Amino acid sequence: MAATASSPAVPQAKAGVAPLRAGQGHSFLLRRLHSLTGIIPVGAFLFEHILVSNATAISGPAAYAHQVRFLASLPLVPVLELFGVWLPILFHAIVGFYIWYRGDANLVAYPWAGNWMYTLQRWTGGIAFVYILWHTYTMRFTGIDLHEHPGASFGKVQNEVVAPLLLAFYAVGLIAASWHFAYGIWLFCAKWGITPGEKAQKRLLVACLGFFLVLSGVGLASLTSFRSHPQQPTDPAGARIVEMGPGATE
Amino acid sequence: MADKKVLFKIKRQASPSAEPVWEEFELNWHPGMNVISSLMEIAANPQTKDGKTTAPVTYDSNCLEEVCGSCAMLINGRARMACSALIDKLEQPIRIEPLSKFPVVRDLAVDRSVLFENLKAVKAWVPVDGTYDLGSGPRQSMQNQEMTYPLSRCISCCCCMEVCPQFNEDTGFVGAAAISQVRLFNAHPTGAALKQDRLAALMGDGGIQECGYAQNCVEICPKDIPLTQSISQVAGDVMKQAITDLFRK
Repeated sequence: MAATASSPAVPQAKAGVAPLRAGQGHSFLLRRLHSLTGIIPVGAFLFEHILVSNATAISGPAAYAHQVRFLASLPLVPVLELFGVWLPILFHAIVGFYIWYRGDANLVAYPWAGNWMYTLQRWTGGIAFVYILWHTYTMRFTGIDLHEHPGASFGKVQNEVVAPLLLAFYAVGLIAASWHFAYGIWLFCAKWGITPGEKAQKRLLVACLGFFLVLSGVGLASLTSFRSHPQQPTDPAGARIVEMGPGATE
Repeated sequence: MADKKVLFKIKRQASPSAEPVWEEFELNWHPGMNVISSLMEIAANPQTKDGKTTAPVTYDSNCLEEVCGSCAMLINGRARMACSALIDKLEQPIRIEPLSKFPVVRDLAVDRSVLFENLKAVKAWVPVDGTYDLGSGPRQSMQNQEMTYPLSRCISCCCCMEVCPQFNEDTGFVGAAAISQVRLFNAHPTGAALKQDRLAALMGDGGIQECGYAQNCVEICPKDIPLTQSISQVAGDVMKQAITDLFRK
């Protein structure tokens, strides 16, 4: 068929990688939404979760209970959870696994730093997601409801990390999520053209590594405080005492 | 010195659909050998190590000085230009294979026309064709020349695409070379006329969004083109274009 202005000669790919499909498909939107959700709201939530809310555990059970009560008092908590946390994480994870599946890691042939980071970003994302599923299931959907009884929060986490293997799982999940977010910020800035220059990318990398150390450091410190305090109650009456002090008993 | 030998293991394939087979070749060492000069010697006397006569190895090459881009192949598992691959710097036996992500034509010759298609898709040219003389173009600043010159050194060897984990049949990623050419031609005062077309093309499936920033491209590039910088820069331009389109189209 002769090529005309209305039907140009489309090159027929024989084999191998297909040429660019200019003007076709929606993968650009999908990939950019994936990139964006990693920062807002998922990354922003992680920032709050580790550096604000869970860091209060370092100050002890009462402070922790106070923070959980504050979060539970926010308006429309189920809507915030669903659209601010769960659905964005699920979207980011599903698209992320799809991206992982479509890439062909070649670290053995080309073991360069950037390539390591590429592979590490996929593994840390996968580990973090498995951890988040478990963490959300146990903390939010089993046992005592912490929105009703914020005072039971400290004890509930303590029960969770009593077994050494689960504690290790929590530490690994925390470190994986911290790394994924910290390097994710670097990737976001590179992919959105915020830091195209070599020097800017190096500076940002140092900053992101520092941020990773802060995130995982504070997270591990919070985790340690759950182990260093004596076991706190996880029943409604005990939870009231944790929150209000011993005088609060009926 | 005369009995020092160089051993090659070459992956051969008689036709695009044939099964690949490995053949071993042994050459006498002499100073200054590179992979292309060795393939020339094999062609002059096409005998395997065991003394069996075979067909000369098919390969692409032209300039022999790393500026034409035709002799890219896998040497000891890594994509590089065969003409600048000095034998004395390679571990033996030297394994030579065709690039793995492009259809094999025969032996080490592969079909890299996907890059040509991609360059056409992003309109990697300066539009000056017409029915009358357009006169001289606008002057370029020295700063712009210094920024664009490194980008113009691309030799279309496709090494950046070969080593990219995202460049494969699932993604159909356009690859670093074409994206860097978009930056080059968008920076050209006359070439900028097609800037919107180029950025729009890179939003299509297989476009710039497929980059995973493994940065292998910039490591492997034989011409030291700042490819990751180009991808980031162009990605920012594509994003601005996408947002502009959203509100103005």
